Amino acid sequence: MQDLLPISYQLAWPLAILVAWIAGEFGYRLTRLPRISIYGLVGFLFGNLASGVLPQSETETLMLLASVGFGLILFELGYRINLRWLRTNPWLGVTGAVEAIATFGLVYFVADWYGSPPLASLLLASLAMSTSPAGIMRVLNEQQSSGQVTERVLHLSALNCVLAVFAFKVIVGIGVFQTSGNLLQAASNSLAVLAASAGLGALLGILVPGLLRRLGNMAQDATLAFAIAVILLVAVTHAFKFSPLLATLTFGIVARHRRVTLNRTQRNFGVMGDLLAILLFFFVATTLDWRQVAGGAGLALLLIATRFVTKTLGVTAFSRLSGISWRKGALTGMALTPISVFAILLLEQTRRLGVDLVDGLPPLAAMALLLEVVGPIITQRALIWAKETPDTTENY
Amino acid sequence: MPLEPFKYSESLTLGVELELQLVSLSDFDLTAASPDMLDLLARKPFPGTVTPEITESMIEIATDVHTGHTQLLGQLRAIRDTLVKAGDMLNVGVCGGGTHPFQKWSERKIFSKPRFKQVSTLYGYLAKQFTVFGQHVHVGCSSGDEALFLLHSLSRFVPHFIALSASSPYVQGRDTLFNSARLNSVFAFPLSGRAPFLLRWEDFERDYFTRMEDTGIVRSMKDFYWDIRPKPEYGTIELRVCDTPLTVDRAAALACYLQALCCYLLERKEAPPAEDDYLVYNYNRFQACRFGLDGTIVHPKTHETLSIREDLLTTLRNMEPYADKLGSEAALEHLYHVTHVGSDAHYLREEYATSGSVEGMLNAAIHRFREDSPLPDGRDAAHLAH
Repeated sequence: MQDLLPISYQLAWPLAILVAWIAGEFGYRLTRLPRISIYGLVGFLFGNLASGVLPQSETETLMLLASVGFGLILFELGYRINLRWLRTNPWLGVTGAVEAIATFGLVYFVADWYGSPPLASLLLASLAMSTSPAGIMRVLNEQQSSGQVTERVLHLSALNCVLAVFAFKVIVGIGVFQTSGNLLQAASNSLAVLAASAGLGALLGILVPGLLRRLGNMAQDATLAFAIAVILLVAVTHAFKFSPLLATLTFGIVARHRRVTLNRTQRNFGVMGDLLAILLFFFVATTLDWRQVAGGAGLALLLIATRFVTKTLGVTAFSRLSGISWRKGALTGMALTPISVFAILLLEQTRRLGVDLVDGLPPLAAMALLLEVVGPIITQRALIWAKETPDTTENY
Repeated sequence: MPLEPFKYSESLTLGVELELQLVSLSDFDLTAASPDMLDLLARKPFPGTVTPEITESMIEIATDVHTGHTQLLGQLRAIRDTLVKAGDMLNVGVCGGGTHPFQKWSERKIFSKPRFKQVSTLYGYLAKQFTVFGQHVHVGCSSGDEALFLLHSLSRFVPHFIALSASSPYVQGRDTLFNSARLNSVFAFPLSGRAPFLLRWEDFERDYFTRMEDTGIVRSMKDFYWDIRPKPEYGTIELRVCDTPLTVDRAAALACYLQALCCYLLERKEAPPAEDDYLVYNYNRFQACRFGLDGTIVHPKTHETLSIREDLLTTLRNMEPYADKLGSEAALEHLYHVTHVGSDAHYLREEYATSGSVEGMLNAAIHRFREDSPLPDGRDAAHLAH
């Protein structure tokens, strides 16, 4: 028996991923719910029931793999962003700014009213601004949707994530300064890191397409080259404690806009992307402790409702001006619900910097769990109601 | 439903329909944008008509009835500007070209309208494969007999229109070596090809349409996908072989070339059309699709082998007096220019070579659609600045 224990340790993660995949496929066939919602649910159950079996020593590696998975998704998001659109249709930028800032303000107000400490309220508010690119990209690709809700969700998510990362880092910076009194540490935790991360992403965004051009096989698929570059970028930012989120997103955007030509990449980075997505959504949910979830549930529900209403109204308000119907505007706002992976990875990365915020944010675990499961379902419904998904009655 | 009577139209009046691509400016793939585009366009009066097409990544526009080149071009440009502006609001690029160079047919969505759904159920993948983009030109005819006479007399000139408009060299990401690969998709339909050789409307109705209707295969003229087909409810014949050109200027020029040809044919100086003219029809059509202006055709009467370019130049010269009469000298001038610099298919291949990717080529096509007539060297100002 004693010999079996180390083996079960080694097998825990591969088996867990297998279970998540099987549950995801069967769940999708039976319920048509997004697979990532099911991975999240299974991850949460697994993480809490089998927490004794999971070897803690591997968490760091898994964290890195999850970051790579997320990096690939962020790159793909950046690669689908057309910055010129914000110029030709300025109301889209206004929508994004208003929706994100209003969410920040109202979530802060509600958290503060509920009695959260000011710093916790600010952090919750900054996280609530963002829409998880992982949640929406997986659902958009799974549904093969196309149309205005799809396009706008992509662009608004990129916009509010950048705003959220900035707000979050600045607030963490202030928090660190308050506790340690070390201005240098505070500064290094915030803006300088962001600038370095974005710079690194931009650099690769120029170098990789240039290299591809030199190779001269532009007509061919560039998926592999970009995937390797994303892995490198995540590893470098991980090692130097920069922001992989901002770096990979910038990489995608710059690679697209600084290109000599465009290269096609496979949606979701093909099979590798699918594999890492299982790991990502599953792993992130295993980090959520049910005690924390239960403890913060009340405020979490209140904040989720506030965020949902603010985002929906914020986007709807400018829908006619920006060229779509009220209905599509409202559906776009709804589709911005997912948050979890983005918020949790941001917190995990902050923890690696020596600032543990999770314990100080009681409602966050419950928010993350609920939205990890429910968020993608809402996005999926919004796309179906907007009639942007293929008609499943066409059997060919 | 019996065939409706052929409505009277004034001879040589013109109308143009263009099927256009809706391309996402994020990744240059076709995007199911027509519901959103139509919704946005409905807010303001449209300078013509705009309708959905079978898949949601296509949109069709049509002009009013015109008599001359200037008004036709004016309206086409106004329509284009309205579309481009709406597209900018929605991150959608509107462009010409007979095929999208790398779309996957399986990803297309059928527009929600009963007729489209029926067609899709009947034809299966052919319906989605039919996400190709053509220009249709209507020419008014004073009677059904005149329509059938023009329809068959024009068959000899069909290769000209294919070669001049050709803009579909790429399909599914690859160069097909065709200049117009689009027509191969049209040919897959069972009721495509040429109209039966009947010269009197009465005969056409009694000996062909009614009998076809009795077989249960067709219910209306819409079920025929012929290269040129009569349209009795408009009182026109409709030329359907052209790829949608990359610019509306070329679309107007092609329409006016057809008008001049009809004007010439109605003088009945040429030998009358005969069934045997069609012996060479499919061969000539293939040559034009495959080689464009560099193809060779066989003259249906003399059986002489001709280069399409030479034959076209001769015909353009012969049409000059008619163009003068109709006020469309600029249109012929535009087409002369095409015979020198090459068709849109040639332009697209050059763009592919320069940019190295089908996306880069599509980007150039989107910019070109926004422009008025291209510069003499065949490249537009936007491209040079790009």
